[in-house]
Order: sequence, then C-alpha cells, then structure tokens
Amino acid sequence: MPHARSPLLYLFLFVPIAYLLTLVGFPVGYNILMSMQQVSIGNISRLIRPFVGFDNYELVIADEAFRKVFVNSLIFVSVNVVAQVGIGLAVALFFTLRFPAAHFLRGVMLSSWMLPALVVGALWKWMFATEYGVANYALTSLWSGAMPVHWLSDPSIALLSVTIANIWFGMPFSMILIAAALTGIPQEHYEAAALDGAGAFARFRYITLPAITPSLLAIACLVTIYTMRAFDLIFAMTQGGPLHASSVLPLLSYQYSFQLFKFGVGAAIGTFAFVIVFAVALIYVRTLDKEAPL
Amino acid sequence: MNLLRQPGRRYLCTLAGGLLVVVYLFPVYWMFASGFKTSAEIFANPPSLVPRNPTWDAFHFVFVRENVLRYLRNSLIIAIPVTLLTLVLGSIGAYAMSRIQSRIVNVALVTVLLLQVFPDALLATPMFIIFRSFDILNTFAAVILATTSKTLAFALVVLRPLFKQMPIELEEASLVDGCNRFQTFWFIVLPIMRVALIVVAAISLVQAYGQFVYPLTLLSQQELQPATVGIYSFVGAEYADWHRVMAFSSVFVLPILVLFLLLQNRIVAGLTAGALK
Repeated sequence: MPHARSPLLYLFLFVPIAYLLTLVGFPVGYNILMSMQQVSIGNISRLIRPFVGFDNYELVIADEAFRKVFVNSLIFVSVNVVAQVGIGLAVALFFTLRFPAAHFLRGVMLSSWMLPALVVGALWKWMFATEYGVANYALTSLWSGAMPVHWLSDPSIALLSVTIANIWFGMPFSMILIAAALTGIPQEHYEAAALDGAGAFARFRYITLPAITPSLLAIACLVTIYTMRAFDLIFAMTQGGPLHASSVLPLLSYQYSFQLFKFGVGAAIGTFAFVIVFAVALIYVRTLDKEAPL
Repeated sequence: MNLLRQPGRRYLCTLAGGLLVVVYLFPVYWMFASGFKTSAEIFANPPSLVPRNPTWDAFHFVFVRENVLRYLRNSLIIAIPVTLLTLVLGSIGAYAMSRIQSRIVNVALVTVLLLQVFPDALLATPMFIIFRSFDILNTFAAVILATTSKTLAFALVVLRPLFKQMPIELEEASLVDGCNRFQTFWFIVLPIMRVALIVVAAISLVQAYGQFVYPLTLLSQQELQPATVGIYSFVGAEYADWHRVMAFSSVFVLPILVLFLLLQNRIVAGLTAGALK
C-alpha cells in the first residue's frame, strides 16, 4: 500500500476523533466532575466550585425517587430488549419465507423507527388518551364490559404504556438487524437438514438459533444502549409521571438539572446511567470483535 | 427456504405480510387521519376510523397560527449543516480508518463505538454549561455542533466497512498518474462511494431533523426553536387540540417518510452494515 503512511491520512483520522472527544468525551468527563461539586445557578459558569466528594451520590442513593426510577429503568430496558429481540426475531423469520414483496414490506415496517421519537411520543399520548383515545376504543369494543384504562395517569400502568410505545418504535430496527444476520446462514445447511427430515422447529433450534446467537447478543446490547437513551418519547407522553412512575434515569437527571437546578445531583444520576451504558458498550465491542476481526 | 413452492401459498404469505404491515403502521395512519378531522369529530366517542368530512382546517390553523413554516425552517437550518458536517468528517475519518494499517485504527474505532453510546439527554447538561461559558447558547451553531457529535459517530461506524470494501488498486493507479493524495480522495474515492454517502446523508438528516433534547436545552428563544420543540410545547399541556397537534406532526414527518420510502432499500442496507460489522 503506497500511501498507508501518508500524513494526510493521519490528519483525516485525527480531525473527526478530536471532534468526538471534544463534544462527547469532554462533556462526559465534565459531568463526572460536576457530580462531585456543588453546582448552583450562581456558580454555574465557573470551573472552580466547592468540591463535595461523594455527597451528591449519597443524596441520590438516599432519594426515594431515584431508587424508584433506577428500578423503572431496569424494567423498561429489559422488557424492551426481550420484546424487541423476541418479536423482531419472529417477524424477521416470517419475512425470510420467500414470497413476493417480502423485502419491500419488511423495509416499509421500518417507517416507525424513522419517525422522530418526540412525534412517536405525541402520537401515542393521543392514542392512549383515556376518553377519546383509540386504544381504549379498541379495548372496550374487543372486550365488552372492559373499563377504559387510564394509560398515562394511572401510576401502576404508565410505565407499561411508555414501554409499549417504545417497543413499537424500536422493534422494526431489531427486526432489520436480525434479518441481516439470518441472510448470513448458508442455504445448504437448511437443504441438508431438510434431506435428513428435520422439521421447521428442528431447523430453527439446531441451525438458525446457534448461527445467529452471536449477532443476537450484539443486537441485544445495541437495543439496551438505544433504550437507555429513551427520553423524547417518555418526555412527550408523561414527563416521567405520575409521581416518577414512568420515569427513567436520563429523564430524572434532566429534571434535577433543568427543573430543580440541582446540577450536581443531576450529574450524579447521570453517572449511574453512564456506567450502565458504558459496561454494555464494552460487551458490544467485544461481540463485534468476535464477529469480524477489526 | 423451499417451503413455498406453490404460488398460492406464496401469495397468501404476501397477503399476511401486507396485513401485518398495515396493522403495525396503523398509528402512522392515525396521525394523518386525525389531522383531517374537525374539532368535533376528534372528540367523538366512538372515534371514526376514517374522517367523515375530511378538512384542511387543522392544517390551515397550524400554518397560520402556529408558525409551522418557521419551525420547519429552523429544523432545516439545523439539519442541513449537521448533514454536511457529518459527511465531511465522516468520510475523511472512515477513509482514514479503512486505509491506515496500524493498531491506532483499532483504538480509534473502539473510541468511536464507546463515545456513541452516551444518552444525549445526559450530555445536554454539561453541554449547556460548556456552551454557556463560550457564550454560544441560543445560537444554531450550538445545536449543530452538539447534534453532529451524535450523527458523526454513527456515520463513521457505517462508512468504515464500506470504504474498506473499495479496491485499493484504483487509488494506486491514480497516485501513479500523478494525483496527490487529496485529489485521489476527492476525485476517485468519493465518487465511487457516493451511494454510501447518500445513505449516510439521509440517515443523518433524519436524525438531525428529529433531534429534540439539544434544541430544547440550548435554545430558549422561541423564534429559533425547531419543529420538535414546537410540537412538544403544543402537547405539553394536559389538554391538547389533538387534530392540530397531529396536523403539525404530519406536516413535519411527511418529508422524512417520503425520503425513507424512496431510499428504503439502501437505508436498510446501510443500517445493517454499520451495526454488525
């Protein structure tokens, strides 16, 4: 390779990496710094602020709202991952049956994922409206005698409602990635199994599933990362309420910072979320390592 | 799979698939349908699945009274520079990562993969404070810089494997012919990669156009806010004029849906290339 040592190439590498380090790496570091300081409206522009060690973290851990939201986040993310990967796998398998327009229909399904998350949140807020929403209409006409559900204002249901909306939003993306993994399985494996008399379930269990397990792990990590980001959708639907019932870590952190102006506490909550996504990202990078050598 | 030899069964599957997509995308239909209803019909119980007397009233209202055009213009003023910046930085970075043969590329790639995972709602607070000390709050530049950090990481991840597939012989020939490295990149590499670049441009444009947290945080002046923030302030209240909110949303997302349906195949291919390689 004649120009592999070209200085221009190193400049080309340096500029975007420096951009990301400045606009993502630095804010992440700055957030961790803030989480150990007392930050108020008064000293917000200064870098030197009272250092309080882990006081903010102690406050956060003692905070009932934080504990509730931490558990919410775990539920929200794990239900999303299981549902998006599970349903995504089923739908992707259906579309591998070679029928006319299968590719086209599969692609069109991705429309939900292309919508801005905020619009998806507004749309589901409207569909989940108690009195005039289409969700309650469907429910009461399918089950005669069913009572209208307070999808967004009942604290015991609000988390479920935002989870349903987010699954609808994200599932097609998982489905598309799983479909890509499925096309990587050589057809001969299926033909050989069919000759041996393996039924559809046996072929899935002994050929499909083992072949795509590494990809499924990578996809599960990606869905975790994307779901940990959820903010716009929940913010539009419930603002995390009622009483933090449908809130997740980024939302609580944002509210501490921009509604209560407790930036240090907000930053400490953010750090918890950072640690979780960073750990998952490390697993994701390792799974990619095994899939295709870098 | 060879299960579907009989044409009858194949078309039955197409029918089932079509039905699945129609049911799944019902919410998108509902958004458009709600926009065409009157205020009386929107609060009818039971709701009408098809607007009885379709009317442009809600659209007229949001254009005249809610300044939809200003919001859309702001969304584009943010999204277009983000797309261009992403294309420039993404293509040079991905090209470098595909051509440099050194362990530094692995370090760079892992850095990108790790930096792309942080939730933007959490980066918004430190960015707000940092941008405040540079005195660029309430400027489009602040939102553009912040949003590009998200789209750029994605572009690098998608483009790197695609640049890697490009045969190196073409570049060698160009260098032998007397082009310098920059000319080779500009006149040989980029034209060959144009389809990939269009896909990345489309995805970045859609992401930047739908970005909400950064403009919400970094722009407090209403005249500067993009459509996402406009829609949010419209639904924020307990009570909302849903036919108008849905009309606003329909106008806002229609360009995205059209762009997506036009480039559907290529966008799907681009997304899968990035996430799993």
